[in-house]
Amino acid sequence: MPTTARAVLRRALRRHPRRLGTAAVLLSLHQACEALVPVAIGLTIDRAVATGSLPALAACLGGTAVLFLVLSQAYRFGARAVVAAWYRESHQLRVELAGRVLDPHGLRGAPATGELLSIATSDAERTGRVLEAAAVLVAGTTALVVSAVSLLLVSVPLGIGVLVGTPMLVGALQLLAPLLTRRTAAQQADVARTAALATDLVQGVRVLRGIRAEDAATERYRRTSATALRSTLRAAGAVGAYRGATVLGSGLFLAAVAGVAGALALRGDLTVGELVTVVGLAQFLAEPVGLLGFAGQKVAEARASAARIAGVLALPAAHEAGQVPRPGPAELHLRDVRAGSLAGATLHVPPGELLGVVAPDPRDAESLVALLAGRLPANEGSVLLDGVDTRALAPGHVRRAVLVEPHAVVLFEGTVRAALDPAAERDDAAVLAALEAAAATDVVVPAGLGLPVGERGRSLSGGQRQRVGLARALLRDPAVLVLHDPTTAVDAVTEEAVAAGLVAVRHDRARLCRSTVLVTSSPALLGRCDRVVVLTGGRVTATGTHAELTGRADYAAAVLR
Amino acid sequence: MSTSTPQPALLPVATGRRAARVVAAHLRRSPGQSALTILLAVAAAGAGLIAPAVLGRLVDAVPDGGSVWPFVAALAGAAVLVAVLTGLSTLLISRLGETVLARLREAVVDRALHLPSATLDRVRGGDLLARVGDDVAEVAESVTTGLPQVIGAGLTVLLTVAGLGVLDGRLALAGIAVVPLYLLALRWYLPLSAPLYAAERVAMGERSQALVSSVQGVDTVRAYADEPRHRAVVTDRSARALELGLRVFRLYSDFGWRMNRAEYVGLAAVLGVGAWLVRDGAVTVGAVTTAALLFHRLFGPLGLLLFTFDDVQSAGASLVRLVGVADLPAADPPTRVPSPARPALELRGVSHRYEDGPLVLDDVDLVLAPGERVALVGASGAGKTTLAGVLAGSLTPTAGTVLVDGRGVDDLRALVGLVSQEVHVFAGTLAEDLRLARPGATDAEVAAALDAVGAHWVAALADGTGTVVGEGGHELTAPQAQQVALARLVLADPPVAVLDEATAEAGSAGARDLEEAATAATAGRTTLVVAHRLTQAARADRVVVLAAGRVVEQGTHAELVAAGGRYARLWAAWTARG
Repeated sequence: MPTTARAVLRRALRRHPRRLGTAAVLLSLHQACEALVPVAIGLTIDRAVATGSLPALAACLGGTAVLFLVLSQAYRFGARAVVAAWYRESHQLRVELAGRVLDPHGLRGAPATGELLSIATSDAERTGRVLEAAAVLVAGTTALVVSAVSLLLVSVPLGIGVLVGTPMLVGALQLLAPLLTRRTAAQQADVARTAALATDLVQGVRVLRGIRAEDAATERYRRTSATALRSTLRAAGAVGAYRGATVLGSGLFLAAVAGVAGALALRGDLTVGELVTVVGLAQFLAEPVGLLGFAGQKVAEARASAARIAGVLALPAAHEAGQVPRPGPAELHLRDVRAGSLAGATLHVPPGELLGVVAPDPRDAESLVALLAGRLPANEGSVLLDGVDTRALAPGHVRRAVLVEPHAVVLFEGTVRAALDPAAERDDAAVLAALEAAAATDVVVPAGLGLPVGERGRSLSGGQRQRVGLARALLRDPAVLVLHDPTTAVDAVTEEAVAAGLVAVRHDRARLCRSTVLVTSSPALLGRCDRVVVLTGGRVTATGTHAELTGRADYAAAVLR
Repeated sequence: MSTSTPQPALLPVATGRRAARVVAAHLRRSPGQSALTILLAVAAAGAGLIAPAVLGRLVDAVPDGGSVWPFVAALAGAAVLVAVLTGLSTLLISRLGETVLARLREAVVDRALHLPSATLDRVRGGDLLARVGDDVAEVAESVTTGLPQVIGAGLTVLLTVAGLGVLDGRLALAGIAVVPLYLLALRWYLPLSAPLYAAERVAMGERSQALVSSVQGVDTVRAYADEPRHRAVVTDRSARALELGLRVFRLYSDFGWRMNRAEYVGLAAVLGVGAWLVRDGAVTVGAVTTAALLFHRLFGPLGLLLFTFDDVQSAGASLVRLVGVADLPAADPPTRVPSPARPALELRGVSHRYEDGPLVLDDVDLVLAPGERVALVGASGAGKTTLAGVLAGSLTPTAGTVLVDGRGVDDLRALVGLVSQEVHVFAGTLAEDLRLARPGATDAEVAAALDAVGAHWVAALADGTGTVVGEGGHELTAPQAQQVALARLVLADPPVAVLDEATAEAGSAGARDLEEAATAATAGRTTLVVAHRLTQAARADRVVVLAAGRVVEQGTHAELVAAGGRYARLWAAWTARG
């Protein structure tokens, strides 16, 4: 994996040698032919139009036809090759980034979601574009050389003048560009703010309606939109001035070239056709010079994007590779763990136990859950699975044995069935049984398991989402299941059903092999636990059954309501 | 939400003719500016013809010799004229286009925020978001970057053909001869490209979707050791978008080849006809040179027109979608009817079903005395949210009425504030968010509202109520966001409050604080609380138990517990004192 911007770009250029080579050759040919079109027009006027010779006309038009044929086919296949290389490189980068983010060994210091997304989309796109820039660089240079040779063949002083003048003209316009960029950047920011506000207000439209704030919101949007309009109009002045300057520059340049070439022609030093060629080439030259500027800009953008990509690719893994031990009963031990707010927590979860954890300080609950999920490393002490430190085990193995369902349930888009059983390993009966145990059958009645859950489960209510998440965890049937406040969005009636379902599925007395850790303060759940521990100040301060502990004032304060 | 959702519908789309009429109406609002804009655009394109004409004269002057200066002066003068006219027309086209666009987007957002609740429920959420988001952006993009150039290019093409006609009608005919070729190319390209572009956009959307959900849900993905499958999905979707992208470009490059063919035919026709005319002495060599230069100059604008054709098309598609929303009937004028401070509310014989679904509410009678606090308890799917919606005026029941102080009212929503479990923190400062509820609220009022709901964490924020929250700002926890929603209710100060599971999203630790906040926010209002936590019910003046759309028990907490019915069993399970 490349770990610097330069390495990312270098690998991009090396990864597609055939396509890039083809593109450079064909696009150069295309640019050379474009440069020859004014020459062909000049020749035709000189040899055929001015003379009236039919064979000459046929020859000229035939020659021009061949020129156009070569020109268009070179572009057609050259551009295809370069775009194929560019898109493929972007795709490969995107897949690598996704692979890194979704690495089973975790990622230490991963950027925020929004940033990762923009890296995987626009930065991958811009980095891949370095291939296009490379091909264009070669093609633009070729066009410059062909134009230069053509001009010098017609007239040496004129050729030199045009060759010096064109880059100066393009350069002068490039100097104006930052002015324009500054104005339009402010304008784009204002427009983006307007767009973001509209989306935000519409997303919260029900909330607005609940408190009758539609008019206030509309008024706020109107003000923001008016501000954006004002800065857009200011920028329009700059854009107009820039376009005017561009037109003026190229117009005056044309006047100068036509003046000198015309003077030479009037003296008889240049034919009419040569005059046309020079004027045509002077107009054409702006194109390759512009292409070179474009390529330079794209390379700079690609470098900045490649640096961000390299930053993600170079992130260290959160876990070592680790070994896969022989299957065991999945007995869990925490020994003097310090992690997050945990300060020397010791805990034993024997196979088959339904353990309740009450943490009056939510930070203790968060830390314990994050530790068991492998998101938070232990600074001191250790987490043992069947007597082996989990740091020495393969992360995939630990997660298959110990499943932590996060409190904020995330369901992936698709049907309810796919949300519960993404790999489609279980039959409908098993899926329905899991929904039943999580008291979530109301979600699929009457729509059935094919009901779409929408983006991140948004089409479900909070309570439904929570119970579907629970059903998913029950269906997975891990040796150790850790649930964090699994019934907070569920009404009291349903909570009771959830508690009963959980015990029936995982703690049926006939099979004593599954253990469950419930991090909760719900008496309905705690009442069914085999044992309850209290976490205070980052360590276990009390152990007993729910009934035994209710006598303690601190426990009652945390749990009873 | 816990009921079967009806088939989602799409918002209306205007016809092209209607959209054109709306734009024309906007333009007529500033007739002078519109006329000047058109005039300058035509003049700019026309002035562009001067240079080739002068060059043609120069060619004609070569055999006789003479001074070059008049030609240089003419070319320089033309350059200045074209530059000034182009700059001004670019400015004016932007001004006009942007102003119309701003009026249009304001109208669209206005309507979107005022849609009747029934429409909101029926319409697919994504559709409304796409209208105010993507569609506005699409039209804005083409107004800002494309419009001046497309108009300029179109006028240049038209005026060039006219210019050829001035030189000689036959030269113009030779130039026009390529028009059918361009049209054929376009007719070949558009039907093929439109579905391909649409498919590509869908594929790109699905690719982002796969990335977003995997990255946002990465903790869940890891918990289930499901990384390989998610990677495979991202790879698949990215590959699909790649494949479509390549097909789009292949088509585009084929179209380019057809355009080059047409360019050649046109150029050859002008030169061939020109040679023939020169032989007959009908025109000069200079005239043919002018014609050839004019035609060569057209390659750029013609390419721009044809290649931006589908941008224009998709901007048009977005425009009709915008006009479709802007044309929706205006919602009822927002009347703040003078209202009693603490009205009595009565539901009489209320039944409701969604579309053809089963009865969700079945003949419910319920009275809320002035200032009374009633808790609604029941299992998922019992109809609690529906009942809350009816009482809040956001849902019109299939049968039955809602009476306020014994009388029917036109607009129940004017009296009721609704806080649901759907939390949304508006992007911007916290104070701005709260002032949505009462625009003129002073800093002290804002602070007092936050204080009333116990949002003491605000003091710990870097900038207090000036802290930027919501999307892209400081992220509030779910209980904090709910407290903000309750503070909005305090500021909005409605006589009636309906809280629908307003404490649901909090973890066990936050729930109790939220209950306190909810009680404070509804103090002195006639209140209905959909209660998840029975402690909320225990604090209410009266508890109503709903089962399968019917009221099955009601009374004070103590009465119901003593009665030993359904509620008493719930309470026993809830407290579960070992």
